[in-house]
Amino acid sequence: MSAVTSGEFWAFVAVVAGIYTIFALGVQVQFGFSGLLNFGHVAFMAIGAYTMAIVTVKTGLGMWVGALLGVLAAAAAGVLLGLPTLRLRSDYFAIVTIAFGEIVRYVATNEDGLTGGSQGTINLAGSGEATQYNGSWERFQSWLGGALQIGSKDVLMLLVVWSAAIALLYACAALVRTPWGRVLKSIREDEDAAASLGKNVFVYKLQSLALGAALAGVAGCFYAWQFSFFSPADFQPLLTFFAWMIVILGGVGRIWAVPIGSVVFGVIFAGTRFFDFAPFSYLDSAERAYVRLILIGLVMIGLVLFRPQGLLGRREEMLLE
Amino acid sequence: MSAGAILEVRGVVRSFGGVRAVDGASFAVAPNSITSLIGPNGAGKSTLFNIISGFLRGEAGVVLLMGREIQHLAPHRIVGAGLVRTFQTARALSRLSVLDNVVLAAAGHPGERLSGVLLRRRAARECERDARERASELLRLVRLDRHAGDLAGTLSGGQRKLLDFARALMAEPRILLLDEPMAGVSPPLRAQLLEHILHQRDELGMTFLLVEHDLDVVMRASDRIVVMSAGAVIAEGTPGEIRGDQRVVDAYLGSRP
Repeated sequence: MSAVTSGEFWAFVAVVAGIYTIFALGVQVQFGFSGLLNFGHVAFMAIGAYTMAIVTVKTGLGMWVGALLGVLAAAAAGVLLGLPTLRLRSDYFAIVTIAFGEIVRYVATNEDGLTGGSQGTINLAGSGEATQYNGSWERFQSWLGGALQIGSKDVLMLLVVWSAAIALLYACAALVRTPWGRVLKSIREDEDAAASLGKNVFVYKLQSLALGAALAGVAGCFYAWQFSFFSPADFQPLLTFFAWMIVILGGVGRIWAVPIGSVVFGVIFAGTRFFDFAPFSYLDSAERAYVRLILIGLVMIGLVLFRPQGLLGRREEMLLE
Repeated sequence: MSAGAILEVRGVVRSFGGVRAVDGASFAVAPNSITSLIGPNGAGKSTLFNIISGFLRGEAGVVLLMGREIQHLAPHRIVGAGLVRTFQTARALSRLSVLDNVVLAAAGHPGERLSGVLLRRRAARECERDARERASELLRLVRLDRHAGDLAGTLSGGQRKLLDFARALMAEPRILLLDEPMAGVSPPLRAQLLEHILHQRDELGMTFLLVEHDLDVVMRASDRIVVMSAGAVIAEGTPGEIRGDQRVVDAYLGSRP
């Protein structure tokens, strides 16, 4: 059976799209609802994944506590990043977040003792002693598989990831409809006006940044469980921009645009590997891997030209001053 | 005269580069009054507004709100202390509904805190209902009730001014600073807006400080007028006194050689 028609393959694509949904939901909360330009989002994913793995391997607290701490650590990192920077003008804040993303990756690469260094999590307990952090996850999956009578690990993962994604999407959709969410939107529109109406703009931005970071932390844990191994190279800046593409593709300021953007993005990204016909057949597989990025770039350009509001956005809103 | 003042500005200075935009301005605003700040362009009125409302820091001098120094406070804290301002260019929150623009200004809404969203749901719901009711009334007052459900970004410039006014009232300030409230508002609506301001003063005991270029409105509405020129207060008095003041005429028209 070829990969195009393989259920396993598309289940895998869907799992990744689900993880990206949770990841990009963070950008949607931060940018789509609060106007924050966070270009270092991948760092929070890395912090979530690494904290979970490190706590699991190096302490007796277990993987589930590790996951909880991972999400909290990502949120705390959001607060720490925000405290000195959120008072800056938005473009300066954006620059600092890019630097933050790279700093986290470099620390993960060089602090071998803590993270396993460039070798990744296999080295977590020191070299020569291969380590795993996902034993509890495997047990959870086989228990769930038994309970639901599902044999395929990919299908199980798909169910788990998308259940989490949908729960988080619902929670965020409910949250942005509250008066709290209305204050976030007012800050997105005009932060001086919000301040002139008595809103503590700084605190709301901090909360939004931390919430988005926590979502990236959740995505980081799922990423770690899905691939059973990761290294600093998994957290390239490109991942942050995937999240931004998903948000823009789906529609800025729309919670349910995120899963749609993720699925479209995931299908384009995965689908390009089947381009084995001419003229793509003249390229070797490594070269073809770049074709997908070119294709996504073209889709983005086309979108900005013909549908700048994204798949789910409202054009009238785009045109307001 | 400053003993009973709700707002007092004393010796405030602020420069931009080499220009002293506000150069030792001093005046006081009596409670339950309408005071207008007038002066030619560049006199420092808007800069002074920004300093009073906490958006700019003065380099010298004091700003007292009900006797309390507020210059070190952030803008949102000054709102909490009872002083609200509007902007010269109306600041409609474009992608919020007109109604939400006004509801947003409700003070002390438990639903605006994450803890309240999670733990005080009933209080938040009740506050939201009351706020919506009050906001709807205010929108009727400025005749924007027909647009309550529209996005604020679809309003005209004059309508945005009215929305800003309604929103500022929603915050229930003790003193309201209005930066050119009449600019861009159509003449019939101007008369109404003026009536609302007078009504708020007479019936609800509110205090207003206006920057306004429409001298007709200023002369009719003001209890006192403060005239600024080149960053300093050059005259202060009732409309009658200001009308006959030679320094004011000079500041506006240029002095005779």
